[in-house]
Amino acid sequence: MLRQIKPRNARSKRALEKRAPKIVENPKTALFLRGTSCSQITQDAMADLYSLRQTHAKRFTKKNPIHPFEDSSSLAFFSEKNDCSLLLFGSSNKKRPHTITFVRTFDHKILDMLEFCLDPETFRTISQFKTEKIPVGMRPLMVFAGTAFESPVPNEYTTAKSMLIDFFRGEPSDKIDVEGLRYCVVVTCDEPTGSASSSADPSAKPVLRLRCYAIRTRRSGHKLPRVELEEHGPRMDFRLGRVQQPDEALLKEAMRRAKNPNEERTKKNISTDSMGDKIGRIHVGKIDLSGLQTRKMKGLKRGRDQQAEDGEDEEEAAVRDKQTKRKRKVDV
Amino acid sequence: MAATTASTPAATATTATTTTTTTTTTTTTTTAAPASKPAKLPITVEKPTPYTFDLGLLLANDPNPVAAPRTADRAALESHLAAVARDGAQVLINQLLTTCPISSTPQGVLLGLPPATTPLPREKPVPDVSNNGKPETKWSAFAKRRGIKPKTREQRRNLQYNEATGEWERKWGYKGANKAGQDAPIIEVKAKDEERRMAEGKSVRGDKRREIRERVKRNERRMRRNLRNQEKAGGK
Repeated sequence: MLRQIKPRNARSKRALEKRAPKIVENPKTALFLRGTSCSQITQDAMADLYSLRQTHAKRFTKKNPIHPFEDSSSLAFFSEKNDCSLLLFGSSNKKRPHTITFVRTFDHKILDMLEFCLDPETFRTISQFKTEKIPVGMRPLMVFAGTAFESPVPNEYTTAKSMLIDFFRGEPSDKIDVEGLRYCVVVTCDEPTGSASSSADPSAKPVLRLRCYAIRTRRSGHKLPRVELEEHGPRMDFRLGRVQQPDEALLKEAMRRAKNPNEERTKKNISTDSMGDKIGRIHVGKIDLSGLQTRKMKGLKRGRDQQAEDGEDEEEAAVRDKQTKRKRKVDV
Repeated sequence: MAATTASTPAATATTATTTTTTTTTTTTTTTAAPASKPAKLPITVEKPTPYTFDLGLLLANDPNPVAAPRTADRAALESHLAAVARDGAQVLINQLLTTCPISSTPQGVLLGLPPATTPLPREKPVPDVSNNGKPETKWSAFAKRRGIKPKTREQRRNLQYNEATGEWERKWGYKGANKAGQDAPIIEVKAKDEERRMAEGKSVRGDKRREIRERVKRNERRMRRNLRNQEKAGGK
């Protein structure tokens, strides 16, 4: 834990305010770290991910003697020191070659961790594809294909999906330039094969395939364009390794949604129609039908002796009519 | 708004036009389209399970199984993946262009995106904005419990109308209404109170003043206590 700092001047106050918790959060910054041993393949993969994540990423090149699944305290420290809540830790050793560990933090405490074991055979860097490169800071389209991502219970695949969405979501905005839809990140997941007994074997687990494509739209003759894709790179195949699922209480706190002060609260019974008029429905009490004027018939007329009373009755009815209101639509 | 109704337009669009298997669409268009222009390119995708979208994140979920060819042929696998990807991207762009409000501005054609619906963990805890990030004071807890609202602007104004004299007067301070009767030549006292005052060596003169002083001191003590509590809660 870093010590609590009291700002001494306006600049440091601004800096502290920038990293203070906010209702509408800034995009997460990703921190790229490497372990004491990190193969060239892993480094290339990290460099490509870094270039895709640019403007919200920091990269450190020094070697760190960290083993995330044994002791993650130094990762929490890195997170706090650099104000990063998404860490990518690359390492490579004999038992687990070419692994990138995705770590997410909440309040600078480790939330969850997942190991992505890169397949060195199929890995291609961005520079190995001869397509036009995407400028930095573009928001990608994301497609997740495969049944494994749709699991109702959280498992490593849903965690992987959540992490990859977090990684690629970019700067949230309510408007986007149509020209800005330039590339697409597609993550496919193979079908789980074999029986449950073989699922213990890590090589039988479904493979995650991360592909990035540049989008080319063409006139289709319809109103909507025809989309063609051209591989942009990187091309990565991952097997999922060790996983640390989030702590229940911490996750609950992390999933809390702030009440947005700018968001208009939906009021009951008030709506806007297609013309833009505001329509409200109000409650005006029960309708009294006893005073309702129905068709008069001669046969039902009362005798002369009762007329005096009738006059009173009518007065009462008139008063009641005034009080009677109907449930109706009125302009508010 | 758009995310909730996301699946319907896509579903109608997919049923509207010709059915083609996904692999064939990609192969035919790449070869045939440049040669013969009038042929309309298919823009719809048929899948047994419909896609789900989160347009705020520009995200499409394809819950259909990816039947990747089980061969050693890498090119076949890549082309299959590319076909899956193309379908996903096509559907997502269709969905974006049909359901999102499009506005043309000098900066370009902008798409309005709905707020994201996929739950993702926050980076930091939700700030407590109720009391400017500070822990509740005893008074604010009490006020909340009793439903006491902060004073209005009118209540805080140091002027009030005196019905009896028909004049506007100050509520406190110089010639304040809270000092009324203090300096009268004759003040009625209660025997018991006067006894107590005599014992303390004080008189009814300046009694109210002493009372106010005491209240101020008490309030200052409370302020210090609240500050201490804040430091305790903030410093951890």
